[in-house]
Amino acid sequence: MERFIGRRLLICIPTLIGVTIVVFITIKIIPGNPVASLAGINSTAAVRAAITHRLGLDQPWPVQYFDWIRSTLQGNLGTSISRQVAVRPLVFSALSNTFILAGAGAVVAFVGGTLLGLWGALRHRHRDGSVADSVAALTVAAPQYSVALVLLVVLTVNITAFPSGGMYNSSGGGGLPALLDHLILPAIAVGLAPLGVIARIFRSSLIDVMNQEFVTSLRARGLSRGAVLRHAIHNTLPSLFTVAGLQIGFLLGGALFVEILFTWPGIGQLIFQSISARDYPVIEACSLVLAVAFVLLNVIIDVGHALVDPRVRQ
Amino acid sequence: MTTTTHLPAPTDVRHSSRLDPGGSPSTPDTPGPAEGTLVVEDLHVTFRAKHRSVEAVRGISFTVTAGKTLVLLGESGSGKSVSARSILRLYSSAVEVTGRATLGGVELFGLPEREMQSLRGQAIALVPQDASGTLDPLRRIGSQITEVLRRHAVVSSRKEARQRAEELLAQVGIADPRRAVRSYPHELSGGMRQRALIAIAIACSPRVLIADEPTTALDVTIQAQILELFASLQDSLGMGLLLVTHDVGVARQIAHRVAVMYAGLLVEEGTGAAVLDHPAHPYTAGLLRAVPTHDTPRGFLHAIPGKPPAAGETVADACAFAPRCAFAVDSCRTEQPELVLVGSEHRAACPVVDGEVPPDGTPAPATGLEAP
Amino acid sequence: MSAIEIPIGLMSPADDGLPAGEVISRTRRHIPLTVIIPGSFLGLLILAAIFAPLVAPDGPLAGSIADRLQGVGSPGHLLGTDGQGRDILSRLIWGARPSLLEGIVPVAIAGTIGTVLGMVASLGGRRMHTLIMRTLDVFYSFPAVLLAIALAAALGAGVVSDIVALSIVLIAPIARVAETEVSRLRSSDFMEAAKASGASWPTIAGRQVLPNIAPTLLVYCTALIGLAIVFAGGLSFLGLGIAPPQAEWGSMLNDLNQDLYNAPVLTLIPALMIFVTSIAFNILGDGLRDLLDTHSETGQ
Repeated sequence: MERFIGRRLLICIPTLIGVTIVVFITIKIIPGNPVASLAGINSTAAVRAAITHRLGLDQPWPVQYFDWIRSTLQGNLGTSISRQVAVRPLVFSALSNTFILAGAGAVVAFVGGTLLGLWGALRHRHRDGSVADSVAALTVAAPQYSVALVLLVVLTVNITAFPSGGMYNSSGGGGLPALLDHLILPAIAVGLAPLGVIARIFRSSLIDVMNQEFVTSLRARGLSRGAVLRHAIHNTLPSLFTVAGLQIGFLLGGALFVEILFTWPGIGQLIFQSISARDYPVIEACSLVLAVAFVLLNVIIDVGHALVDPRVRQ
Repeated sequence: MTTTTHLPAPTDVRHSSRLDPGGSPSTPDTPGPAEGTLVVEDLHVTFRAKHRSVEAVRGISFTVTAGKTLVLLGESGSGKSVSARSILRLYSSAVEVTGRATLGGVELFGLPEREMQSLRGQAIALVPQDASGTLDPLRRIGSQITEVLRRHAVVSSRKEARQRAEELLAQVGIADPRRAVRSYPHELSGGMRQRALIAIAIACSPRVLIADEPTTALDVTIQAQILELFASLQDSLGMGLLLVTHDVGVARQIAHRVAVMYAGLLVEEGTGAAVLDHPAHPYTAGLLRAVPTHDTPRGFLHAIPGKPPAAGETVADACAFAPRCAFAVDSCRTEQPELVLVGSEHRAACPVVDGEVPPDGTPAPATGLEAP
Repeated sequence: MSAIEIPIGLMSPADDGLPAGEVISRTRRHIPLTVIIPGSFLGLLILAAIFAPLVAPDGPLAGSIADRLQGVGSPGHLLGTDGQGRDILSRLIWGARPSLLEGIVPVAIAGTIGTVLGMVASLGGRRMHTLIMRTLDVFYSFPAVLLAIALAAALGAGVVSDIVALSIVLIAPIARVAETEVSRLRSSDFMEAAKASGASWPTIAGRQVLPNIAPTLLVYCTALIGLAIVFAGGLSFLGLGIAPPQAEWGSMLNDLNQDLYNAPVLTLIPALMIFVTSIAFNILGDGLRDLLDTHSETGQ
């Protein structure tokens, strides 16, 4: 198991390198001139040249890349152009807020998905089992921003059941209850589509497992229905981990959109604002941090998968 | 919480089971024949789908005696596996099973599911074919054995369970039981996995063991070892063995009695010697001749022309084998032949052949069905 | 061909009680509802988009501020008007063009490139395989949404950059599916036979491999179109899509969102449009899977 973890982390490294390269190149392609916006419209060529040199933008790209990597590893993520504050604390506080939202969405997706899938599997010969499956099929396509909008419209505009934005009460207080109150709707919006996917895959996986030889073999040993079901569910866990790996992207990505609609102060909001403000350091840092977080999350999921399924450890 | 219904194990004189008709504890060495005998009568198994039903087993009866091996011999589709599994009631309610199955006097088909669960794995056990994943791929072998031991209350502590698991793996001939106990199924070879499945099945010293194609997935050399293992376990545990197979060679090696199945019915039944050396049904004879031996002349492979009817395609009032039979006469297509006695302890369902198929397999005069 | 073989050792309590080896006829004689219903809906939608000038009651830009935010069912405006007074129904129809394009074209492009990459990765030897799969992994390492946003932002707003961004994002998943399918085929007997017969790789790829993986890929890509439409809507919603005031579902969403508190229901209309169209593609994909009788384990 330890060897698996070691190997998995090792593979990360080239991927991370690739990720940084893609982020770097993408930022470089963005049209528009950061120097011009920094220097102002009426700046002279000399001022602009000085700024270009100060920002290191006159160096060849590979040099810029390594400089950027070096300063990133040292913890320096630059300064926000529009806000004139250090990027790092900005990005990390936004990141943690995004994690809270994505995490809540994940809880909604997994808890709801496994329950719905379980129901669909256990009752798949009956009508209500098909209902469960149809529900799942519908939610799969629910674009997270659409759901967010629906929830906003229905539950916050006319019926003010839930707050319509922000993370805590307007004064920033309220503690955990306020957080949860603000979290429910966006979490549902984020988690609904993955919930459908998880429900369908769990259901199909459970039905498959229940039909397999080894379940018959378990029953032949005299185990009770409950014990057999427990083992069957255990055997569906590997597929759930596979799904989790695939759905993380949607959870994180969906969170970005939902943040914008619910004005949740996360990375999505930050990126959105920075794109309009042409605030390149922030965009760059956000993309990098998000991508790295994603890679690491995948590692964690793979490790979990190997914990559950010994065959994966090779 | 789970009810445990025990049939007495050979070394277990403490429990007197309510299933023992005599009420007296069994002797330590061999159980009385009554307790270990599985009697199946008029078994029918019908699969119900939305628009039709398929009768896979159309009325068979047989007995598995303690300490003896009955081989249920037949091709794919004959219904032999279905029969074996329906005895253990492993099918869902979508499958209709009628008839009687009695183990040591207890009627299996009438039991509530809970009691049947106690008997499964304890009084009557299944050794499945190690096709794909009959062992839980996510759990270690040892844990799967100890689970059975503890479920049927054969041991009283975790430690005892672990010890017993190692002993069982040794008993089935695994070389390094300590390591095997800690291994996952995918880390073992096919032969070892089959032995592990046998260990799980015999863990609670069952009265009757049902083995469903236990050697089909294995190399010939391993096959021989597994069959030897069955024989020696039978001697030491005194259990009855119902072995389901399509392999005539397996039957020859291990059978005390053979029952030949075709298209959901028994066509012949008797002692191994009687059926395998003096077949009294054209199908059995064909099956036996189809296996090439060292003195089969080169270029001659005897095949039975045609192929067996699929389940659901058979007709009730005719002999299912008639279309392919060299001996068939008109009455074969209008009457279902009955299993009748053709020798001492030997029954066959072919009135035409009348007790013995001619050695060359053809009725006189020759009809030219042999290969040129 | 309704023969039921009961193979050895495959007996299991299947749902309908029939032994697991049951083979019902391989090709359905009738086309399932899951293909007909979404298929018709999408067909009509595409036709409406193509013939928008004839079908839509108004032009996409026509309207006056005086008429702004009329509700659903107002006279002359079946689905109301937006914040600029433009007829929503018309803009939905006109907007179907870019929205559908942004869904279908990226999948077509990524489908072609991805399939080729997947085939090359699987058939082209170990080093090629590693090279391609590791590169794809890098793209896989980004949450698709983030990558799409970043690329679309980098390439400048507009339909073309959206299409390019989405194509790039979708190549990796398709290539992965293609690679899995081809690898599964590679170990099958008929591939060995093809190789043994001396056929060259491109021939094998074209004649043997492609027709066999095509059904699975088709099913997957159909569902992917649904996803692409949602993505494209999202990109436009962020302002990265077609330049306003052109009509497009995602940017309509953004427009109407500005007036969320004044006319909440209107905002739902483009959202619903995206949702329904996307689901139609999903269900169509499921239906195609049944029709073609493929075993697709890629369920999104």
